[in-house]
Amino acid sequence: MIKRLLAVSGVALMALAGQALAAPPDNTVVVGFGADASTFDPAQISSRDNANIAKHIFATLFTVTYEGEVQPYLVDKTAVSEDGLAYTFTLKSGLTCEDGEPLTAEDVAYTFNRAADKANGFTGNTPGFVYTTLGFQSAEVVDELNVKINVKARTSLALGMLAQVYVHCKDSYEKMTLDQASASPIGSGSYRLASWERGSQIVLEKVKDPGTFDTIIFRIIPEASTRTAELIAGNVDIITNVSPDQIEAVNASGTAEVKSVSGTRRMQIGYNLGAGVADLPGAKEIQDPKVRFALQYAVDVPAICEQLLGATCERMTSLVNPPNGNPELQPIPYDPEMAEKLLDEAGYPRDANGVRFTIRLQGPRGRYLNDAAVVQAIGQFLTDVGVQTEVELLEWASVYSPLLRTKTMGPLFFLGQGGVTWNPLYDMSLFSTPDGATNYQSWTDERWFADWALALAAPTPEEARPIINRMLKLFYEEGPWLMLYFQPDHYGVSDRIDWTPRRDEEIELFNAKLAS
Amino acid sequence: MTFIIRRLLQSLVVIIGVTLITFLALQMSGDPTYLYVSERATEEEIIQTRAALGFDRPLHEQYLTFIGKLVQGDFGNSLSYKRPALGAVLEALPATIELTLFAMMLAIVVAIPLGVAAALNRGTPVDGSIMTVAMAGQSIPSFWLGIMMIMFLGLQMRFLPISGHVPFIMPLVQGDVVRAFSQLPQALYYLIMPGFAVAFYSISRNARLVRSSMLEVLGQDYVRTARAKGISETAVVIRHALRNAWLPVVTMIGLEFGFLLGGVVVVEMVFSWPGIGRLIFNAINQRDIPVVQAAVVILALVFITLNLIVDLIYAKIDPRVKL
Amino acid sequence: MTTETLPGPAVAAKPISNRRREMRRAMRSLVAARWPLVAIFVLLCVAFAAIFGPWISPMDPNRQNIMLRLADPMTAGRQGMMYLGSDGLGRDVFSRLLYGARVSLLVGICAIMVGGTIGVIAGLVSGYFGGWIDDVIMRLGDIQLAFPFILLAIMFLVILGPGVMNIIIVLGIGQWVTYARIVRAQTLSLREKEFVEAARALGDPTVLVIFRTILPNIVAPLTVIASFNVASVILSEASLSFLGLGVPPNVPTWGAMLADSRDQLMANKWWLAFFPGMAIVMTVLSFNILGDWLRDFLDPRLKTNA
Repeated sequence: MIKRLLAVSGVALMALAGQALAAPPDNTVVVGFGADASTFDPAQISSRDNANIAKHIFATLFTVTYEGEVQPYLVDKTAVSEDGLAYTFTLKSGLTCEDGEPLTAEDVAYTFNRAADKANGFTGNTPGFVYTTLGFQSAEVVDELNVKINVKARTSLALGMLAQVYVHCKDSYEKMTLDQASASPIGSGSYRLASWERGSQIVLEKVKDPGTFDTIIFRIIPEASTRTAELIAGNVDIITNVSPDQIEAVNASGTAEVKSVSGTRRMQIGYNLGAGVADLPGAKEIQDPKVRFALQYAVDVPAICEQLLGATCERMTSLVNPPNGNPELQPIPYDPEMAEKLLDEAGYPRDANGVRFTIRLQGPRGRYLNDAAVVQAIGQFLTDVGVQTEVELLEWASVYSPLLRTKTMGPLFFLGQGGVTWNPLYDMSLFSTPDGATNYQSWTDERWFADWALALAAPTPEEARPIINRMLKLFYEEGPWLMLYFQPDHYGVSDRIDWTPRRDEEIELFNAKLAS
Repeated sequence: MTFIIRRLLQSLVVIIGVTLITFLALQMSGDPTYLYVSERATEEEIIQTRAALGFDRPLHEQYLTFIGKLVQGDFGNSLSYKRPALGAVLEALPATIELTLFAMMLAIVVAIPLGVAAALNRGTPVDGSIMTVAMAGQSIPSFWLGIMMIMFLGLQMRFLPISGHVPFIMPLVQGDVVRAFSQLPQALYYLIMPGFAVAFYSISRNARLVRSSMLEVLGQDYVRTARAKGISETAVVIRHALRNAWLPVVTMIGLEFGFLLGGVVVVEMVFSWPGIGRLIFNAINQRDIPVVQAAVVILALVFITLNLIVDLIYAKIDPRVKL
Repeated sequence: MTTETLPGPAVAAKPISNRRREMRRAMRSLVAARWPLVAIFVLLCVAFAAIFGPWISPMDPNRQNIMLRLADPMTAGRQGMMYLGSDGLGRDVFSRLLYGARVSLLVGICAIMVGGTIGVIAGLVSGYFGGWIDDVIMRLGDIQLAFPFILLAIMFLVILGPGVMNIIIVLGIGQWVTYARIVRAQTLSLREKEFVEAARALGDPTVLVIFRTILPNIVAPLTVIASFNVASVILSEASLSFLGLGVPPNVPTWGAMLADSRDQLMANKWWLAFFPGMAIVMTVLSFNILGDWLRDFLDPRLKTNA
C-alpha cells in the first residue's frame, strides 16, 4: 500500500519535473533580479532595478546608446534658445500610448508638470534627481507636436537627463488615482505590464517595436546563489550581480556564461573633511592633502579587483569616467613603502606600537559588488602601513544612508556613485558647491569651485577641456577621494540568448535575441 | 462562551501591545525621512517630505493617529510602495500561509510515522538511523539546508524546482476555483523544498517526541492487556498506543505555527518565496512603518485565532482540560 | 523556542537533602547511557577551544591576505600552515574556528543566562504572588509569543546594529517566556508544599523563601530547558548572520562563517562550510543529547527512552 503510494507520487513528481524544468519558450526571455519593483508611477520610480523594468514600459524623449551617446527617441528635432534656457522639441508624428491615445506635445508637457507638481509629493528619480540636475522650471505646449521646456540655468547635461523622464499620456493619467498609477501603468513604450505578482515576478507583453521577444518575465530572486542556480539550470536567461566567486561555476556549466563590463559607478574611499566627524580620531590627519595622497599608495586596487571582484581593472585617476578623464594622469600604483615614506614626511611617524594614527572606516554591506569584503580588505591595507583602521559595516538603507545625508559617516567611508560616459561635467557635478548634498566629503578647495564655474559656462564640454583637465589634476593630487575602481558588473547570460550588457547598469532587452 | 470572550479581550491587549512595541522600536531607530527623498534633495524638500510622511509630529500623537485609523482598518499607505499597507500585506500573506501550513503538515505527517517506526523498532538500526537523522535535523540551520537542497535536488539532479512560487490560496480567495485546483499539483511541487527547509527542525523534534511518548504508552497496562487479549499488533498500535501518543504533538500545534512562521523569513529569501517574511524584512530595513505594523497585526491575529482554535479542539479531545 | 516535554513538578519537589545520592545515581546513569558521555567530551573540547583559543590558535583570525584567499587546506601561508585552508579574505579557517568556539559559546550561554535570569525572576514572582502582577507578566509573555520572535529579533538588531552584546540581549530576551512559564507552574505547586509552608511559618522573609527554598527545587527542569536552548540560540545566531544581522565581520562565529561560505559553495570550496558546519552540528547535537539524558534522568517516567 505504502509502496504503491510512493510509486504513484514518484511518477507524478517526474511528470511535473518534465513540465516545470523546461526552458522558457522561444518568444520569451526571463530575467532574474535581486529586488522587486516598488511602483510603476513614472514620477515615483527611483531604484535601479525598478527603472530597468520601467524603461521597457515607458518611452523617453532621448535615449543613451550602448556607446554612451545621447540620441533622440520620441523627439524628431531639437531647438535651443540663444540663452540656453529654453528647449523646444518637435515630436515624431504618429506616436501613441498603450491605450491607443495619440501621444502629442500636450502629453509631454503633462508628463513634466505632473512630476513637478508639489501637491503629489513625488519623490522619485524624475522630480528628485533629474529636475534638480536639470534646473527644471516648467514645460509648455507650443502646438500639436512642439513642446517647450524651460530650465533655470544653461547646462550641457539637459538632453542626457531627459533620457530618464518617462513619458506618459495625459488623458489616461488624469483619470487615475495615485494608487492606480503606481500599480497599473499605461505606458508609451514597446511593452505593457501584463501581470505583477509582487515579490515573485513581473510579466511584460510586447505591444509594438522595438523588441524581439513577445514576453519579458522579470523574476525576483533575492539570494545570489539561488539566482546563479536558476541560470545554470536554464530557467532564467539573464541574471544581474553574479557573485564573483560563482563566475567560474557559471562558465563551467556549459549552459550559461558570465559577461562582465567595467561599469560607470565610481567606487571610492571618501575622506570626510566636514564638521560632522571633526572630533573623531583620524579626522584631523586626513585634512592634510599629503596624508590623503600618501594613503593612495597603500591600497592594492588591481589585487582587490582581481581577487575580490572577479575582474581586471585599472585604478581610476579621477572622478570622471573614461574616456573623459585627463589623459596625462597615471593610475597611482600599489607601493606601501612609498606610502610609509610619504606619511613619515607628512609628520605622522609610527609610534612604539607601529601605529601612526587610528581612524574609522565605514561602509555598507550588500549595496555594491562584494562590498563587505572590499571594505575589510582596504582596512587591512591601511593597517599594514601603520594607519590603524577600525572597519565598521552598516546596513545601507536605514543606517548608512542617513549617515551620508547628515555627513556624519567616516572619517573614511566606502561609497560608489553612478556616472555617465556622455559628459565629464555630469560626473564632476558631485562637487558643484562646497555644501551641496552630493559633496559628502565637504571638500571646500576654492580652486576647484572657481574652475567649476568656468567649466559650466563653456558652451560645450570640449571647449571646457583645459579647465577640466586642470580640475582633475587637482582632484588627483589633493582631492577628497582615495581612488579605487569603476565597479565591474557581472551579468550571467544563458547560451540560449544573445545579449550584450551596457556599462551604465541599464538593462535593455529590446535587442536581445535567441542565439543562432 | 465566556472563555472565548475573555480570550478575545486578552487578544486586544496583546495586539495593542504588539503595535506599541513595533511603533516605538522603529521610531527610536531614527528619522526615516532620508530614505524617501532623492540623493540631491534640498533641506526644504527634506522638511516637506518629513511633514508629508508625518514624522514631524510628537510621538504620542503619531501613535494615537495610527491607532485611531487602525480601528477603521486603515494602516496608512506604505512608504515605499506608495499604496495601502494592508493591501501589500494581504497580498503576501497567502504565500506564507501556504508555506507554513504545508510545513506544519510535514511536521506531523512525516514525523508521526517516523516516531512510531522508531519506537516499534527500538534499539535496532531502524531506530538508530531515524534518531540520528532527527538529531541532525535539529542542528542544521534552515538556510543551509535550503541552499544544499537547491544545489543537489534542484541543480544537480533536476528533480525539484529551484525556486519560485505557484499560487493556490490567492486564486481561491479571488474566487477562481478552477484555476486554483488546476494549479494545485504545480503549487505543491514548488512547495516541497521550501516546505522541508522550514519543517525539518520540527519534523525531527516531533519524531523524537512521538517516539518517546509511544514508548511510554506501549509500556502501560492497558496496552499490555490489549496485547494479551490477542488483538493484532497493528490494531494495538493504531487504536491504543498512537491515539495517546500523539497528544503531546497536538498540544504543540498552536505553538508550532508560530515557530514555523519564524523560520519562513530565511527560507523565503533562499527560495524567492513571495511571502510576508520577506515583506517584513524589507519593510523593517526600509523603515516602512505602516507595512511593518500591518504585517505584525495581521500575523498576531492569525496566530491568536489559531491558538484559540487549538485550545477549543484540545478541550474536545481531552476531557480533562477545562477551559 | 524549544517546547520539549518537561518533567512534572513532583520530581523537582524532591527535598534537596539527598543530593549526594542523586549525584552518584547521575554518574552511574551517565556511564550506562554512553552517548551523553561522548556529548560531554565533545562539549569539553569545545570549551577548551573557547578558553584557550588565543593560545593554541596558530594565527591572528582577522589577519587577511587577499592574495592567498580560498586556499586549500594544508596550504602554507604568510604566518604559517593553514591547516583548514583560508576563507574569502585569506583568513585562516582553523584560527577562526577556534576563536569562533569562544564567541558562539559565549553567545549561546550568555543569551540563556540573560533569558533565564529574566524568566526565572518573572516566573517566581508571578507564581508566588499571583494576582495582578501575575497577570501583567503573563500578558507580556503572550504579547511576545503573539508573533514570531525572529521578526522581533530582526527589528531590534536592525535598530541596535550588529554586535555580540546586542545579539546576546536580543536572543536572551527571546527565551524568557519559556522559563517564566515553567518556573511559574512549578512555583504554583511548590508554594503549597509542606517544606515551603514550614519555611514561611519559621518567619523567613519572602525573598529568602523564594530564593532559598523554592528556587533550588526548580533548577533541575531548568537545566534541561537550558541545554536545549543553547542549541537553538546557536542556530538562531547562524540565521541572523545569513540575514546580515549577526556579529560584526571581525568577530568570528561559526554561524557567520557558515553564512559567509554560501557564495563559494558552487566553486567547490567545501572546507569553508564543512568545518564550521560540523562544529555547529557537533555542539548542538551534544547539547541535545545531554538535554535528553538530563530529562530522562530527572523524570523516571520516561526512563524507557534512555
